[in-house]
Amino acid sequence: RLQNVEKRIVRVLELAGGVMDEMASQSGPRKELVNNHCSEFMQLIKDIQFALREEIKSACEYRPFEKCDYVPRISNEICYKKLEYVIAQLDEMKQTIEGYRNAA
Amino acid sequence: MDGDIEISIDKLPIKRLDAIEENGTERFPSDVDYDEKRLNLIRRIDFGWAVEREDRSKKRKSEGTTSANESTTTNQHTGQWQSLVENLQFAQQELSVIIDLINTVEANDAVTVAGMTRPKQLPNELLSDLAVSTATKLQCFWHLGKYFKQSAAALEKQVAREARFYGALIRLQQNWKVKRHRLVAAASGNAGFFIDLFYNTLYDTSVSLRPSSMSTIPIEHDAAGMLAVNVPPNSCRSLRFEFLGSHSANNVRRSGETNMHAFSEDSSTETNKEHANDDECVRKTHSLLREVHRAIFDEQVFELVSREACNSSLSVNLTGIQENYLRLSINQGASVSISLLLSSQDNKTDIVSGTNSSETETIPSELSDWSKFREGKDNVKKLGFPNRISFEIYLQQLFHEYVFVRAKDKTSSSFRSLISGQQSKDNLNILDHFCMSLAHSIFSNKVLSELESLVCRTPYVQLISHPTWHSRTSSWTLSMKVPQSILHVGSQILSSGISNVKNVRSQFWSKVVVIDESISVEGVGDLNVVGLFNGKPESICPINRYECDLADLPIILLQQVASQVIQWLHEEALTVGIKVTRDFLSLAFELDHGEIASLVAHVDPEDTRGCISWWLMMDDGITENHKLHPDLSIGESESRKFLGHLSLDVLYSTLLDFVNLCSC
Repeated sequence: RLQNVEKRIVRVLELAGGVMDEMASQSGPRKELVNNHCSEFMQLIKDIQFALREEIKSACEYRPFEKCDYVPRISNEICYKKLEYVIAQLDEMKQTIEGYRNAA
Repeated sequence: MDGDIEISIDKLPIKRLDAIEENGTERFPSDVDYDEKRLNLIRRIDFGWAVEREDRSKKRKSEGTTSANESTTTNQHTGQWQSLVENLQFAQQELSVIIDLINTVEANDAVTVAGMTRPKQLPNELLSDLAVSTATKLQCFWHLGKYFKQSAAALEKQVAREARFYGALIRLQQNWKVKRHRLVAAASGNAGFFIDLFYNTLYDTSVSLRPSSMSTIPIEHDAAGMLAVNVPPNSCRSLRFEFLGSHSANNVRRSGETNMHAFSEDSSTETNKEHANDDECVRKTHSLLREVHRAIFDEQVFELVSREACNSSLSVNLTGIQENYLRLSINQGASVSISLLLSSQDNKTDIVSGTNSSETETIPSELSDWSKFREGKDNVKKLGFPNRISFEIYLQQLFHEYVFVRAKDKTSSSFRSLISGQQSKDNLNILDHFCMSLAHSIFSNKVLSELESLVCRTPYVQLISHPTWHSRTSSWTLSMKVPQSILHVGSQILSSGISNVKNVRSQFWSKVVVIDESISVEGVGDLNVVGLFNGKPESICPINRYECDLADLPIILLQQVASQVIQWLHEEALTVGIKVTRDFLSLAFELDHGEIASLVAHVDPEDTRGCISWWLMMDDGITENHKLHPDLSIGESESRKFLGHLSLDVLYSTLLDFVNLCSC
């Protein structure tokens, strides 16, 4: 969601640039366009503010790493190694069987 | 006018008459009209003294006019001419002043202007000013607009970059501990994030592990702004456990090892599929972190092992220490080494001959061919060494469970009982347990090979191994099953009307249990000594159990099997109705004429064709010596015939043959 906020900020800047361009145009600013841009600008600012407020409210306080899973991670690694070993053994068994079958 | 005075003046101003009075006097307007006009024009230059002149000239004119009015007509003209001349002179003076002024102005001398009123602006000037200011404002606007757009574009790019970076960081944070150094953030340019891979166990104060140099890994931006984790390529070590004297016969490369070099480079292609590359990047980072994490754990294990090896003295003897290398000797003369190797040195091992002296195979140091590889494998089997990888894993698991997992739940007693077994001491020594398991494993492999060779040569005996979930216990069963054909025959005979119906046992077993290098054998069908002497047909055959050595194991087992066969035959004979007596390894049939034919089993573990062979001995009651020495293989004589290695079917049919021979 914060990424949306960032995108909105970018869009706001773009709009500001657009308005400036409009004002700088030779034939005088087109009122409708300027109005549209300005209204969108205000809307976006409002949205941004709203979103940020929500985020700040819902951000929980900092709990440093109470669920650290490094130990089960190592168990996982060990199990992985065991599995590899078992698979290797099974492969050997299969090879033996194939050998016998081919020989027979 | 008196006379004809000709006045040659160039320009004679034409005097206009102001008015002519009634009395004929001509009233002329003020004299220096012409010059006055000039002076009036010059007055615009706003010279002060010109005004004085004007006043003076006005006074003079008034004088001149009064004098002109007073004078008669005769003086009129001279007065006029005089004033005219005077005015002309004055005009000339003033003109000369003006000319001087103009000259100085032309010469660009500084002219101080006393003051000047702003000329009133003409409307077109106003408009042009307005236009200029408007144009400049428009220009400013345009510049501003361009600036806004540029910054919007730049911000968008930056947002995208940071989105990638932080997205990846969030994904990493789900699995690893990401921390942040505030101070470092100011120094280096990359927000100071790092990953902390260290986990300290709180179990024992003596078991405190120091964080390795690798446990904090900095997160950096790579060339494309994406997350990058750089680990120096050869810094990850892995634990390696080896039996000395056997080259790593198991040359299976661990497939989990990843190429460390590939990770310190960037994946620079990000043209089309950024998301795919992001995922790949994150995944690669994950595997890299896993590798480092595992390496840290291996280092910790090695440290613990070395600590314990230095402390304990139970069954472990430390015979060598180097920087990342420990050598231990297990009590049966085998040596193992535990070392920390860099992952690039995977296949490099030390060859030190410290093997058991009874096994004398020298193993070639380079197993390059497949045949040699096979040979190495067989040698390893002969030496009874178990697979080293399994023990490596076991070592890791022991330490992990003991040190880390137990730290959490201190109430689990299962592991404690697993290790200590009989001893109820409180200081559990993992390494001791490990080494004892290792010794047990070696020993039980030897036992197993013996059993296998026995069973190979005895066709009607099967070997069943039972998994025990204890690392220092193993058990097997030799079982013998009566084949179905005989059972059918037996039931046919039974159904043909013999009254002696008895449930014959059809399955016999002997169990071999190895606990920590001591073998115990138990089995059914062992002859009860009491029952032997009683000669009762229904002899009790309880289950006996006794210990034995590895060397004696084959003979004991074979004897047990043979006696089981004999017992079976005995029971079968009884059901069939033959009069039969049983000895330890022989079965004696009473024949018609008092002759006794006995079927004797001969066990020989070294016999390559079969371990149990049968002899038929005819005995007519005289030569009893032979009966007591059934295993003399002097040769065949009249009273003794070698039957060979018989299967159970043949034995059974032999038995049935005896039925015919028997009288009853």
